[in-house]
Amino acid sequence: MVEVPSEKMSPATTPVFEPRIVALLCHYCAFAAADMAGVMRLQHSPNIRVIRLPCTGKLDILYLLRAFEEGADGVMVAGCEEGSCHFVKGNLVAKRRVNFTKGLVAQVGIDPERLRMYNLSSSMGPRWAEISREMIEHVRSLGPSHLRREK
Amino acid sequence: MIVAKQKPFETIYGMVAPNKRIMLAGCGSCVTVCFAGGEKEVGILASLLRMRAQKDRKDLDVVEATIKRQCDVEFIDELKPKLDGVEAILSIGCGAGVQYIAERFGKTIVLPGLDTTFLGVTEAMGVWTERCQGCGDCKLHLTAGVCPIARCSKSLLNGPCGGSMNGKCEVSADTPCGWQLIVDRMEALGILDRYEQITPANDWTASRDGGPRRIDREDLHEIK
Amino acid sequence: MATLAINGITVTADEGATILEAAESAGINIPTLCRHRAMLPTGACRICMVRIEDARGPRLVASCVHPVQDGLKVETDTDDVREARRMVAELMLARCPDNAAVKEIARQTGVADAAWADRGEPDDCVLCGRCVEVCHDVMKVGAIDFNGRGSARTVRAPFDEASPVCQQCGACAFVCPTGKIRPDGLWGHRPGPLREPFEEGLGCRPTINRPFPSAVPSIPAIDRGNCVHFKTGQCGVCQKVCPAGAIDYDEAARERTLEVGAVVLSPGFRRFDPSGLGELGFGRFPNVVTSIQFERILSASGPTMGVVKRPSDGAHPRKIAFLQCVGSRDRRTHVYCSAFCCMQATKEAMIAREHDRGIDPTIFFMDIRAFGKGFESYFNRARTETGVRYVRSQVSSVKEVLGSRNLLLSWVDPVAGRRTDGEFDMLVLSVGAEPSPEGIALARKLGVALDEHGFCRGAPFEPVGTGVEGVYVTGMFSGPKDIPETVSQASAAAGAVASYLHEARGTEVSKREYPLQKDVASEEPRVGVFVCHCGINIAGTVKVEEVEKFARTLPGVAHVERSLFTCSQDSQQNIKKRIAEKGLNRVVVASCTPRTHEPIFQETLREAALNPYLFEMANIREHCAWVHQAVPDEATVKAMELVAMTVAKARMLGALQTTSIPVHREAIVVGAGIAGMTAALSLSGQGFVVHLVEREGELGGLGRRLRTTLRGGDVRAHATLLSDAVKRNDRIRLHTGAAPVSMGGHIGRFELALSTGAKVEGGVIVVATGGREHKPAHFLHGEHPRVLTQLEIEERGGVDVPDGGNIVMIQCVGSRVPERGYCSRVCCSQAVKNALAIKKKHPRAGVTVLYRDIRTYGLYEEAYRAAREAGVVFLRFEEDRQPDVASEGDRLSVIHHDAEFGANVMIAADWLVLSAAVEALPENRALGEVLKVPVMDDGFFLEAHAKLRPADFASEGIFVAGLAHGPKNADESIAQALAAAGRAGIILSHDTIEANAVVSRVDEEKCISCLTCVRICPYDAPAPRADGTVEIPAVKCQGCGLCAAACPGKAIQLGKFKDEQVEAMITAFGGRQ
Repeated sequence: MVEVPSEKMSPATTPVFEPRIVALLCHYCAFAAADMAGVMRLQHSPNIRVIRLPCTGKLDILYLLRAFEEGADGVMVAGCEEGSCHFVKGNLVAKRRVNFTKGLVAQVGIDPERLRMYNLSSSMGPRWAEISREMIEHVRSLGPSHLRREK
Repeated sequence: MIVAKQKPFETIYGMVAPNKRIMLAGCGSCVTVCFAGGEKEVGILASLLRMRAQKDRKDLDVVEATIKRQCDVEFIDELKPKLDGVEAILSIGCGAGVQYIAERFGKTIVLPGLDTTFLGVTEAMGVWTERCQGCGDCKLHLTAGVCPIARCSKSLLNGPCGGSMNGKCEVSADTPCGWQLIVDRMEALGILDRYEQITPANDWTASRDGGPRRIDREDLHEIK
Repeated sequence: MATLAINGITVTADEGATILEAAESAGINIPTLCRHRAMLPTGACRICMVRIEDARGPRLVASCVHPVQDGLKVETDTDDVREARRMVAELMLARCPDNAAVKEIARQTGVADAAWADRGEPDDCVLCGRCVEVCHDVMKVGAIDFNGRGSARTVRAPFDEASPVCQQCGACAFVCPTGKIRPDGLWGHRPGPLREPFEEGLGCRPTINRPFPSAVPSIPAIDRGNCVHFKTGQCGVCQKVCPAGAIDYDEAARERTLEVGAVVLSPGFRRFDPSGLGELGFGRFPNVVTSIQFERILSASGPTMGVVKRPSDGAHPRKIAFLQCVGSRDRRTHVYCSAFCCMQATKEAMIAREHDRGIDPTIFFMDIRAFGKGFESYFNRARTETGVRYVRSQVSSVKEVLGSRNLLLSWVDPVAGRRTDGEFDMLVLSVGAEPSPEGIALARKLGVALDEHGFCRGAPFEPVGTGVEGVYVTGMFSGPKDIPETVSQASAAAGAVASYLHEARGTEVSKREYPLQKDVASEEPRVGVFVCHCGINIAGTVKVEEVEKFARTLPGVAHVERSLFTCSQDSQQNIKKRIAEKGLNRVVVASCTPRTHEPIFQETLREAALNPYLFEMANIREHCAWVHQAVPDEATVKAMELVAMTVAKARMLGALQTTSIPVHREAIVVGAGIAGMTAALSLSGQGFVVHLVEREGELGGLGRRLRTTLRGGDVRAHATLLSDAVKRNDRIRLHTGAAPVSMGGHIGRFELALSTGAKVEGGVIVVATGGREHKPAHFLHGEHPRVLTQLEIEERGGVDVPDGGNIVMIQCVGSRVPERGYCSRVCCSQAVKNALAIKKKHPRAGVTVLYRDIRTYGLYEEAYRAAREAGVVFLRFEEDRQPDVASEGDRLSVIHHDAEFGANVMIAADWLVLSAAVEALPENRALGEVLKVPVMDDGFFLEAHAKLRPADFASEGIFVAGLAHGPKNADESIAQALAAAGRAGIILSHDTIEANAVVSRVDEEKCISCLTCVRICPYDAPAPRADGTVEIPAVKCQGCGLCAAACPGKAIQLGKFKDEQVEAMITAFGGRQ
């Protein structure tokens, strides 16, 4: 009998693009939701690097631009659900800044789709895992940023 | 304040692209207030320029510098130590600032990053509107404190034109008719009879028509 | 101790340790498969082979069983070792080609394919025998053993039949390295899961568990009733595997005696169990759930992770029916209304639609009781925008459809007026509340009287009193209510206790002393990095040794060290020691989330004479190890990057100081109605001077005009009682005929200028300006002398109705209409109260109440029932078919368009009483501008949080109570006033207020006074100074950073989140330090 290596056993030959993503998270909601996703052991791939902000209202347009300059393939901002900001309106201000920044980055050849904002509450651990996967897959489909730095 | 807005990004990039190292000079006065040329905008524009250059696989070094005012040489001189190797200065001050920097640094190309637009006020967060045109012959005392030169699209001095409709100007439905504002305010102040008075033609020589203007107060001159 | 060499590295290990353990302690990785910490190693799988050289010469041994000895030389990565491991992996792979654990071992050893052909069916069992050993040796059961020989060898129960001795403990599955063995196969049928009570039985939980995710303390406990160790004395696996040694089987419940001056009862409630109402099918039909179960189904962290699925088959339900008043307003169960269920069902229906647009919810109800602040507009949104269907009908039967397990409901269609059947995928029972037996028992112990239902109601105007001195009540135990009332009442109880015990306040507080903080501003950063294993929580996935090694390479890092549990007492001591001996001036801990652990480490820094803000955490557990368990290499890289980013930020950290400002320990209360006077008296009772500012010349407000409450309290008498007490009180300074015209200062010291020219100062402000009754302009009000409002007849002390005469009341006059979209909350109870009073006085008079929904929420339902029993007629009209009123001389006639009969009814009336809306005072807007607090469109003041901070404004130090906040009855106003006073008292009880250290600061040099910060701040903190620059008082700043991120001149920086700090993290992300 001739041995045929099963397909499952052959190692993948085409390397999958692993995006590098910066996540700017509100301490009160998204950061807590990411903690909860951890407690619930909700697995996702390790493409995201979290930076904690006291509120997405602290989000400076410059942070988003710097992240792209530093070669991030994607940048995500996650704040409280609309109407539930710990600081009344920080998340709404952040939403405008994110939208404004989308216009800025488009001018320098960065697909504005690389930048996304999400809203979730602190109890939404599964939602964090879900948006993490979604963002990773989304950025993966966009391919590497032209500013990506290979380390 | 002087209100300005940034030029289209591609225009700015086209101006700086031939250089390898530029200085991006911000101004900490009027243009900071109208979010066009302060330290924050310097940071944003510098970042965008760097990323845009990288897209073209070009080297572009951007030196960021914001001074208090670009219309005074003492502040402009603060830029000097950072000018090493800089081929061009992109100023995002108003037109006065751009020129004054150029005058100060004779050997460096100076480029404008803003379109200086008008003298105006902050009407609401993120909204600035024109109030003054610097005509040099102020008539606000005759027109209930609303300027017919700056706020009437045609700068009419004696009542509105036929294009005033429902309080709006024919130029745009978003622009209030300057004369409507004047009449409304006169009415509110109970001085509507002033509307009947004829205002003689403006002395436009005090405005740009008389050539570049200059104010000279001898009493303030520096004693050398 | 033995000293040996592993790969040339000298390692010391305890005598009796294995080579594997010694290698691990040195950070040297050896692959393992059959090893399990719960048991002694047996060297069964032999993947952990290493080469040793001792007196007997070189040879290969299994490192998990071979003991260390002095002078032993061990190689873990030589050609022969690798070859031996490959052989083992190939053999295992031949037997288990599809098993994930075996494939992972194959990957680690570099085996791509099994070199041998399968000899039979692929299996998942590597025959290591761990299951057999654990069952026999640890559990002392011996339900399974090896059976057969050679390749036919398998693990089975005797005779391959269901084992009668198997205790379904699952230990075999727990230790099985390949996931092959399953206890249900051995026992013959599936073991029943342990139901999770927090998930209302919809989920299951392990024997060792946390009671619920946000439990305090969040420490797991063993469920003794289901633990093998507690049942048989065997097992003990958890104790063996817990690296922290935290399991103590001998720990017992302890009783403690506390000496206290007051007791607050808040035992909560029990949800009604609908199993007894057999006709609803709960417990029989799986797709009938309670509203609390449905709440869990909707929860993102619930049993279905927020996906709406029905229990019988996990299918997505389309049509969901909600049944209201299950266990409420029902003679068979509880006659009272549970007060929260209408809104709960509305909310659940809305959220279900948000989760899944395909869901079509129908709510079957009697009256929709959307009486709370903002509830009516929420309800309107549900029915007009969100597509929630409301059917005013009681469901008469629930049947299950065979096969589909759908539910067939029958009801009388209110429009068509005939019986209708409908099939639903799921049925949600809106279960009501009842007092818990534990609460009742507790109250009995304290001698507290309860009503016939078991609620602790207290006397009128004493919303937190129990009748027993020093004992107070809050929450559902005093009667059904929604969250805002519960929170309000809780603060009220705290305020009442603060008054009661004010002399003892602060007498048992001890202050911690810390060493003087070292000034590190001029020092170069010397960062200490402490990497935590968290037992195996982090180290099981992230290669912590590599993280440690990497951290050493980062600039500014002066010390790196790993520990098993960085948060343990000895580790904290160690951090302190290292700070001192290595001169560390910044500390980074790479462990878990700063949300729980940052304060612990900051405390350590303070003890080590460092400013607590010179600390930063990298979350490599929740955000890394726990969520990337399958990819240890990538997780390690991520952990390293997170550490690099955190160190980069740490280098930029500076000390932050809290500012403390003195508190002017006096209060200002604006408004001297019932709420204002209650707040003033409570604050003076707490020992503070109160400035009571009243617009009118007299005290009492609306309270002077009302007569009685539904519960028989005399409002006017109470208002008089309060105003007498206020006037007598030497701590209360009265300012009548005065209104605030301007305000300066901030929490700690507000300065209020009054219209009288007077100036008052206080550390806090309570706004209790009251409200008024709407003056109706229709239904002949103001034209006909016999058309009055409810308040007007109360002021008159009632009306006389001749025998056989009629009095008609119309509800919702001016409420729930376009110009006043809210429900005025009190009018239904007020109408019922006045109707009862008339019936009592004139039993032969007819009383008819025309209504849209009767909203006698909570225990007021009893009065509604009593009114119906007394013969008061309640007739319902639809929103768009208001009654018509005509008059002929003295006589009035009301034409009512009955919603039930669809016919017009003419009622001759001697009196017409209009239940007019409660209105906000127009003065609120001006006051709102003076105090810089928000006023809503309907003119009422907007609290900081609708549910959780009902008596606070978002601006620190300003509180709200009574009708100024929204319609409510006297008891509720009093509760909110006590709450406001309680909250305000917290501030006044301190000499100083410690402002947050993480605040925004303005660089005056850079500030150009563009006022962006002034405009964007949600708390009105930034204020222009005389010199033109803007100042942000630390006490007012909440630390959100909104202003810092908006400043066009980059003149504002937020402590701990400065631009240079955040940007350093981003730069480090890019790989630059």
